[in-house]
Amino acid sequence: MSLPPALRASVTPPELELIACQELVEIIPLIPMEKTAFIAGAYGPLRPPHRASIPIWMALNLKQKKKCHIIAPAWLSVEFLDAKIKQETTQAEFTKLPFHFAEISRVLLDGASDDLQNPDKLRTLLQDLREARQAKARAGLESLEHSTLGLSNLSAMEINEIRPFFIQAMAVLKQLHVPPRQP
Amino acid sequence: MEDDYFSIDAILAENQKVGCRFKVDITDMGHLGGGGERDITKSNTLQLPLWMVYTVVLSDWADMIMPPAFGSKVRNALSAEPCSVRLASLVGAGGLWYGFGRTIMEMLDPRLDDKKKDMSDLLTNTFRKRLYEVIDQAQHFAALGPAGGVGPAGDSAQSFREGLDGTERELFALAQEGSKRMKRWYEEGEKVRR
Repeated sequence: MSLPPALRASVTPPELELIACQELVEIIPLIPMEKTAFIAGAYGPLRPPHRASIPIWMALNLKQKKKCHIIAPAWLSVEFLDAKIKQETTQAEFTKLPFHFAEISRVLLDGASDDLQNPDKLRTLLQDLREARQAKARAGLESLEHSTLGLSNLSAMEINEIRPFFIQAMAVLKQLHVPPRQP
Repeated sequence: MEDDYFSIDAILAENQKVGCRFKVDITDMGHLGGGGERDITKSNTLQLPLWMVYTVVLSDWADMIMPPAFGSKVRNALSAEPCSVRLASLVGAGGLWYGFGRTIMEMLDPRLDDKKKDMSDLLTNTFRKRLYEVIDQAQHFAALGPAGGVGPAGDSAQSFREGLDGTERELFALAQEGSKRMKRWYEEGEKVRR
């Protein structure tokens, strides 16, 4: 393969960010726009002050030009994340979160932090959540097996982070495993 | 570590010598032992390279002696505390302890399934117990950034890192690289914000 080693094992975080930006988000447009066809699909029409659902990349673009307000998804709020952290630290399994929560929360916090309530608090909460989940994923290493791995509710970014060495570790375990003899 | 003919790791893992006790007399082969004797005599013990051991053992000319890297002393140490054993020093610099162990395991008498299982369990358990520490330290180092930092508290951790075998080293690098990428991505965002 002609790819550098770092890119062979998994996709990069910026690539994941790009994928996550295809997700829809609600906005309040400040300009009217007819229904427009993009490669990804047709979005619009935008009629202020009615809400509309458009992909995140488009919302961020409009936001940059001050042509819309982004309405934060329900899960990107202090109360919701607080509850999730409580769950995360008390339960053994991972709590359910949007698959792309890490990417979406980051781009929204970067590009539209004035549309969010209490962005600094959100940032710390997300950081706490991430660390709690990371610790859990690492603890799961001890029960790693050569054939199967079950980590439900893990998000795209987290899977991507642990993928390279989990794969390698499982390959090693597979080599060390002696299959039971056929009767 | 795998059976692939072209795998460099497999070749490196076989770069070891294993003691063999001969069961038959072999004439004119004394030079293999490096000694002055002309013949290999019965019950003589020689250190043979691994690739030769295959033939010698399978032809029933000699018995393999379990290498000290997997002897009872190491086994006891591993069952006591896997993280405090320096695997690298058991197999020499750049050695592959797991790869070597796997080769030995393959060579164990197929009639003795228990022994094979024992060996597999030893390798698997050691690997699994050390893995956590490997990943933990890799992520810790990724978080430190290029400046690095070796505090006085890092003694046992440092000795653990020095004792990593080749396979674990690779995992360490993978985990470190992954964490670094994530860190960079999160920090990129912070820069945009400012």
